[in-house]
Amino acid sequence: MPDKQEVRIDVSDGAAIPRKRDIGLFSAWWISLIGALGCIAYLCLAKPEPYLDILKFLPDGILVTFEVTILSILLALFLGLITGLGRISKNRTINLIASTYVEVVRGIPLLVQLFYIYFALGQVFSNLPNPADVAESMAAWPGIIVYVVVGVVGFLKDMPPLVAAVTAMGVCYGAYMGEVFRAGIESIDKGQTEAARSLGFNRRQTMFLVILPQAWRTILPPVGNEFIALLKDSSLVSILAVADLLRRGREFASVTFSYFEAYTMVALIYLVITLILSKGVSAMETRLNYYVRD
Amino acid sequence: MSATKPIVHVSNVFKYFGQLAALNNVSLDIYPGEKVVIIGPSGSGKSTLLRSINRLEEVDRGQIVVDGMDLYAKENDINAIRMELGMVFQSFNLFPHKTVMQNLTMAPIRLKKIPRPQAEDNARRLLKKVGILEKAGVYPTMLSGGQQQRVAIARALAMNPRVMLFDEPTSALDPEMIGEVLDVMVTLAREGMTMICVTHEMGFAREVADRVVFMDQGQILEVGTPEHFFEAPEHPRAKKFMEQIL
Repeated sequence: MPDKQEVRIDVSDGAAIPRKRDIGLFSAWWISLIGALGCIAYLCLAKPEPYLDILKFLPDGILVTFEVTILSILLALFLGLITGLGRISKNRTINLIASTYVEVVRGIPLLVQLFYIYFALGQVFSNLPNPADVAESMAAWPGIIVYVVVGVVGFLKDMPPLVAAVTAMGVCYGAYMGEVFRAGIESIDKGQTEAARSLGFNRRQTMFLVILPQAWRTILPPVGNEFIALLKDSSLVSILAVADLLRRGREFASVTFSYFEAYTMVALIYLVITLILSKGVSAMETRLNYYVRD
Repeated sequence: MSATKPIVHVSNVFKYFGQLAALNNVSLDIYPGEKVVIIGPSGSGKSTLLRSINRLEEVDRGQIVVDGMDLYAKENDINAIRMELGMVFQSFNLFPHKTVMQNLTMAPIRLKKIPRPQAEDNARRLLKKVGILEKAGVYPTMLSGGQQQRVAIARALAMNPRVMLFDEPTSALDPEMIGEVLDVMVTLAREGMTMICVTHEMGFAREVADRVVFMDQGQILEVGTPEHFFEAPEHPRAKKFMEQIL
């Protein structure tokens, strides 16, 4: 029996995930974390004005950053799973659609996608008829359909920045996530599929009961990495007037003109968050390896 | 034997890998309760034949009927037919994310809608039979190869199949573990299970096989009792093969 190769999917744009054996990186992690926390503490104690004021001003932004990140990653996971399954599908059409999605999205910068969805599509949607007019013209339709259509039109016509931000980030990261899912699924030995099918499980049951639960172990580290990358990229949404961490810092700075202080704190907080998250991802990775004998 | 209907009916089957005919006009009938051992050099198509019986390999031409159901007929659900066929692989293929117990109960609970307590009782009975009851709660990676293969046999039996298919079940095992797996297979044979085994274990073949089928280059060249193959194989290639493995 050929030894199954342990597959590791490396994604370069997330944070470095410290590994137990990796002493150098391990200590770099501690130096960064203690350094960042130390800086925050020192600045707030030594110069409470403006640093402590900034620290008190930013938590709302941190919440929004997390809100955007979590909603986006959920959308990205959903799209990624579908895309990953599409990419391994034997159906030529489905395969082509999934591959094209990945190709197109990966070729357009995230910032451009954000602009496109919020400003470009926003302009198109703003030309939609008034919800009230739609309701009137659909008088003959059943109530529930009218309700849904009017709701959707009204929503699109006046798209909240948060929705545009989450859609753009989710669609963008969904494409990357699709590749992660595809690689994760393909990393599972073919014998697993054969064993499940020979017991009588159909394709779908085999995928969801046997393949994905195992692929998850390979998928999780890069997903965690994407999550961290996404959290950092979420600072882009500050351009759409979403009051995330960066936007809050900018608001503080533009009122008090203390740009240096505000952005220093913003940078330190991003650093602390991503450092802690990367630790969490590696802890989860260890836990998910429970059935692998070392 | 010809009075009863075959439980597995393979007739005029062809299967190509590119230009190569992996199965070249193969026909074989297996009757209920029969033990058939398929032997042949590597690349002879013996595994391909076994795997086409539960349609893990799609054949290009010919007919395969299991328990009266044509594998390729539109009205037949292949997943239902597969439940009649237990399969044991060379590389065990246990589900590593499930415990031994879960490996055995997953399919009966999900596919046959057997209540969990009943499925677990049955699983314990089977684990006892393959001599590995005490490992019910552990994950497969904690087991030796021989133990894993015995669990794999129990997993296949948990679906209460009509026929068991063995695809070189001892080829991936260390020599000292082959015996424990063969013992289980012999017990199973004694109980009257219909078995089709691709294996090189001629001792096993001699002990349980009703018929030995010799394949080479995608064709069945000779069929006979184990004694016939030990004593006087007729086909030159069968003769040569027997000399090599004995």
